[in-house]
Amino acid sequence: MDCPIKTQENTDWLLDYAAGRLRGERAAQFARHVETCGDCAGFVKAQSVVWNALDQWEPEAVSMDFDRRLYRSIEEARPSSGFPGILSRLFHPLQPLWRPVVPLAAACLLIVAGIMLHAPQAVISPADAAGRVEKIEPEQVERTLDDMQMLRELAVTPEPGENPSKSM
Amino acid sequence: MQQRVKEVMGASVALDCDAELMLRVKDGDGASFGLLLGKYRASVNHFLYRMVQDQAISEELAQEVFLRVYRSRETYEPTAKFTTWLYRIATHLALNWLRDQKNERSQQRLDETSDDAPAREVADRSPSVEQRLLHQVNVKEVRQAVAALPDKQRAAVLMHKYDEMEYSQIAKVLSCSESAVKSLLFRAYETLRVRLAHMA
Repeated sequence: MDCPIKTQENTDWLLDYAAGRLRGERAAQFARHVETCGDCAGFVKAQSVVWNALDQWEPEAVSMDFDRRLYRSIEEARPSSGFPGILSRLFHPLQPLWRPVVPLAAACLLIVAGIMLHAPQAVISPADAAGRVEKIEPEQVERTLDDMQMLRELAVTPEPGENPSKSM
Repeated sequence: MQQRVKEVMGASVALDCDAELMLRVKDGDGASFGLLLGKYRASVNHFLYRMVQDQAISEELAQEVFLRVYRSRETYEPTAKFTTWLYRIATHLALNWLRDQKNERSQQRLDETSDDAPAREVADRSPSVEQRLLHQVNVKEVRQAVAALPDKQRAAVLMHKYDEMEYSQIAKVLSCSESAVKSLLFRAYETLRVRLAHMA
């Protein structure tokens, strides 16, 4: 086989061989090459030193409360439980539908409010109201007085051949 | 659900049981999230610890990794191996943190924590303590050698060495080509061989 160091090809084989990860026929082929190639043998030896040195670096144990802290963070990130939470879960599938409606509804409200503010209003001032009352009241009084007079006249004038006392 | 995974991943890709668990999480199964957490809690924490070399910070970052996994459950699609996705999140967070922390203060803190452990052992003169001291000196040298690597090289070495990832998977995590990963690793190990040669 061609020397990976000289050809600069399949250099990953060198790393894999030193790490003991090269398998099968390829591993056997490479082992035969290393026996005869001083460069590759030197590389594998130096790489094994690195490999063993890295093995000495043990990480510290994970904190006992790691999961508890994580689940607390998940709970905090969740929408609040209770009625609003249930509502949000109920309407969750509809969210993509009603989301665009909200800005539209807000725009409509603004337009309606604007129209109402600028439209001419039928405002009745207190003076007008009083004038109307003044105009209506004498007419009503006059009509009532006329009606009373007519009734009185009907009661006073007896029908021919009728007893006047009966009509009273 | 298996049918769904097969549809998304295609027939050529083997069924990833972690992806299946994640799809269950997507369907509201909290227990499946617990299983994934139990399976990858240690490896994600250790990877982040070796990346940032600070226990408290690595745990905070690991918390963020799993929180992001949980938050992304609704949009999750098994287009790649679950571990690729998981380590992509972890690497992204670690590289961002390293980028933000490249200042004198973080380096000072690293040195302080490295020097703390041997100082505490000096009172005890037994041979086992000497061995432990030697071990700690070696570990300190390894840590410093790894910390001196460029961030991407460091991530590649850690995934290759400790998580035994294939070149193709490391390439996906780092969003680069497989040949670029091989080149990264070759240069990284070359640096380490020089720095750690005296440990032979």
